[in-house]
Amino acid sequence: MAKSYTLPDAVADRLVSILGKRFVLTHPDELLVYESDALTLHKHLPPAVIIPGSAEEAAAAVKVLAEAKIPFAPRGAGTGLSGGSLSLHGAVIIELARLNRILKIDYENRLAVVEAGVINVHLSEATAPGGFHYAPDPSSQMACTIGGNVAENSGGPHCLKYGMTTNHVLGVEVVLPNGDLINIGGGGVDVPGYDLLGVYVGSEGTFGITTKATLRLTRLPEAVKTLLAEFMSVTDASRSVSEIIAAGILPAALEMLDQETIKAVEESIFAGGFPIDVAALLIIEVDGLRAGLERTAAAAVDICLRNNARAVRVAADEAERQRLWGARKRAFGAMGRIKTDLMVQDAVIPRSRLPEVLDEIYAIAKRYGLKVANVFHAGDGNLHPNISFDGRDPDQVARVDAASKDIMSLCVSVGGSITGEHGVGMDKIDFMRMIFSDADMERMLAVRDAFNPEGLCNPSKVIPAMKTCRYCGFGIEDLRHKRAVHQEIS
Amino acid sequence: MASAIGESANIEHLATLLDRNREGIYTCVHCGLCLPACPTYRQLGDENDSPRGRVYLMRAVSESRLAIDSVFAEHIDSCLGCRACETVCPSGVPYGELLEAARAELASTRSGGVEQKLLRFVLNRFFTRRALLGVLMWIARTFRESGLAQLAFDSKLLGNRGRLALALLLSSRPALTSNAENRAAGPSVSTSPKVAILRGCVMEGLFSHVNRATERVLRKSGCELVEANGQVCCGALHAHAGELETAKELARKNIDAFRATTCDTIVINSAGCGAAMKEYKHLLADDPEYAARAADLSKKVKDISEFLIGIGAKPSEAIVARRVAYDAPCHLIHAQKIASAPVDLLRSIRGLELTPLIGSETCCGGAGIYNLQQYELSAKIASDKVDNILASGADMVVTGNPGCIMQIGASLLMRGESIRVAHPIELIDSAI
Ligand SMILES: Cc1cc2nc3c(=O)[nH]c(=O)nc-3n(C[C@H](O)[C@H](O)[C@H](O)COP(=O)(O)OP(=O)(O)OC[C@H]3O[C@@H](n4cnc5c(N)ncnc54)[C@H](O)[C@@H]3O)c2cc1C
Ligand code: SF4
Ligand code: SF4
Repeated sequence: MAKSYTLPDAVADRLVSILGKRFVLTHPDELLVYESDALTLHKHLPPAVIIPGSAEEAAAAVKVLAEAKIPFAPRGAGTGLSGGSLSLHGAVIIELARLNRILKIDYENRLAVVEAGVINVHLSEATAPGGFHYAPDPSSQMACTIGGNVAENSGGPHCLKYGMTTNHVLGVEVVLPNGDLINIGGGGVDVPGYDLLGVYVGSEGTFGITTKATLRLTRLPEAVKTLLAEFMSVTDASRSVSEIIAAGILPAALEMLDQETIKAVEESIFAGGFPIDVAALLIIEVDGLRAGLERTAAAAVDICLRNNARAVRVAADEAERQRLWGARKRAFGAMGRIKTDLMVQDAVIPRSRLPEVLDEIYAIAKRYGLKVANVFHAGDGNLHPNISFDGRDPDQVARVDAASKDIMSLCVSVGGSITGEHGVGMDKIDFMRMIFSDADMERMLAVRDAFNPEGLCNPSKVIPAMKTCRYCGFGIEDLRHKRAVHQEIS
Repeated sequence: MASAIGESANIEHLATLLDRNREGIYTCVHCGLCLPACPTYRQLGDENDSPRGRVYLMRAVSESRLAIDSVFAEHIDSCLGCRACETVCPSGVPYGELLEAARAELASTRSGGVEQKLLRFVLNRFFTRRALLGVLMWIARTFRESGLAQLAFDSKLLGNRGRLALALLLSSRPALTSNAENRAAGPSVSTSPKVAILRGCVMEGLFSHVNRATERVLRKSGCELVEANGQVCCGALHAHAGELETAKELARKNIDAFRATTCDTIVINSAGCGAAMKEYKHLLADDPEYAARAADLSKKVKDISEFLIGIGAKPSEAIVARRVAYDAPCHLIHAQKIASAPVDLLRSIRGLELTPLIGSETCCGGAGIYNLQQYELSAKIASDKVDNILASGADMVVTGNPGCIMQIGASLLMRGESIRVAHPIELIDSAI
């Protein structure tokens, strides 16, 4: 493993005086569990973990770290799948799980103010009695935090109709990397000046640390219909997806599961009652006003049947609907049972190319002697190939790495992109060059520098090392370079 | 990290027990979906005190990356054993089994402080002997009834932990002041099914009113009760404390006792004991003589609510005008996966209004004697429970486990609230 870092005692003491002893972890044995997020492929041990109990504590702690020039990385629930919250360059992990209060629910203005560590689904649960929910629903919604969602601009099955996180964030309170606490955005529709909020959402914790967010609440649909369509070929399923969209139907969700995924789910305790002899399943959900919903659903059924669906089933009641979604949303865990570790990839492809892309992905997996299962947010072309492997075997890890790279190149070559919703983090950093030029990335860096000029906040994420510095030899966005430059200046 | 490796003399031995559970450990895919279900993680925000973190620590021990010393002990000790993590885990991590292995490892490697030794002494010397335990329970009961316990609690002379201990005892008093105790039990309606009851140590010692209510309800529902002589403590407390050998010994005695009867079903009104007996098959899996018998016995074990719903028992027309909140014992909902049976039973009682309780599937912080061992953390967890109960507007809380009845009752008492906690069967009994 890489160089190991320790936190200077003086800094640790100051952090303890702000946060209390219980919430400053420095014993090496207690840091182990922070070496990974939900993607166990990468492991980096932090020198310390701090767990602030309020925005003010977080700001004070950041100030101490910034003064000592010690980098730090925010972490929510650690369900991230791109290594975004890992400690690089000895970054101290700032864990925000204790900021878990829902501060305000305002049905009249359809908004809620929450702390960053609030669990996504808890907000929907709290607002359901009032007839509202928080619409973005990542499959990890039972565990992931709003702070993580804002950082990753997370999506979910229902974002096809309702939009990603960015469409639901009205404002954020942020601890800047120098320890200042500021507000970005606000409740209004249009804020004068630059739209910094749009830039901030999706910045993967490299611009600052979110401590509060003002979020839009969405009315629960009056009625919902969920269909399950069975296909004997992926091509037929893909064609149905394209035709549904082309027909002007905007489903709330449109998900495809391939045979490997179906098998894994059905073998788990969260089996959804899926048939295991089909090549692909489509979960189609339509919602809205009760009037007209029957007709919309019937039109979707019609399209599936015309494209050789073997059967189309309608969830009889809410319990069956919950079972279907429960099975879908736990597919990741279900697939994890196959081997000790799981690589969840995330890419975007043009919907129409799905059949050939899937065939090629199966071929790539076969070439590397791996097993791959695919879940597809079919409506917006977001593909998740899942490869199960044994992380204790370096050879398998190398093969997974190579296969991931091939899959990414494939997706880009058909006109797609390297991430749909899981972010770049550290896992995808090398793929950035596949889709961006140096000039593109330099502009992004310039924006980051406006928030995070010293590069202390979540270093070496998102943007890869680009040019080498003429004076110090380090990559220009590299933290060591920043330090070298800083020393020269001061 | 290197500092943690290979320093403990115990590492070899420790690794062996967890090693046998490697397969279980490796079913964890590190997805993190279990984090919010964990009461200790919710309070502390520390991944070391989360299910994913604890499994990771166990994995590190089994891979010799981590020594079994104070850090490991601290985070395994802080686990409630509530198994809420098991219910939400998509990968099927057998957390309860892993925890038992980790605790047994710990118990075998550390001599422990005074508290640890006292606990071991009580578990191994008292809870294994019926006569001795009977005396202990008699003393507790006499103290409870004498009014001295109430007096001491009210006097506020004791520290918080001491007051909690008294409040726990006080909360084991019958919650319903009905005259059910004096009512003659109805005649047995038919000869089937044949049912034996586990009397339990705390149940018979402090909750005999619940045991009698259980008997009355079973008889009225047409069951024939058969006596299982020689039954002992179920061993749950021992297994959870890592005293596996004593737990096995008790399990074998119970298997013998119940096998000697003609019963079709063993009905249990304490969720913790029910869970333990359903797991005898796991506990004794390596015992050549008893493995098959244990599996056979585990199959016959039913929680009282599960059993009554199964035979279609119906309460009478009696009206119980109460507004109750149901709190699910962890060992019923998470360990035995029984969620709806108690609720369905309560719903069938006329006049009873069941009010929703937020966090009803979350541990109350009792967890055996966790409330006394980990006083501060447990008090925080209990405090959230009390807040939710008060918000629900219930005039009574219902839950099917003695530990939960005492913990929730005591937490309410400590807050100065007069809401009482009852076992569901007490309400059924008053309605049947
Ligand atoms: C089973 C499973 C299913 C998933 N399904 C989906 C899905 O459907 N859609 C989807 O988009 N994602 C999905 N994900 C990925 C992941 O859940 C999301 O990226 C989620 O938003 C991460 O939230 P978190 O709280 O776990 O953040 P973490 O993993 O802790 O962190 C993620 C990133 O956010 C940053 N961050 C966290 N908190 C803050 C904060 N307060 N301020 C600033 N930066 C912060 C971190 O530095 C890191 O870069 C899934 C993951 C799993 C394990
Ligand atoms: S939910 Fe299960 S698989 Fe996921 S981290 Fe928790 S224990 Fe592991
Ligand atoms: S048993 Fe309960 S306290 Fe222990 S890890 Fe699981 S959820 Fe947390």
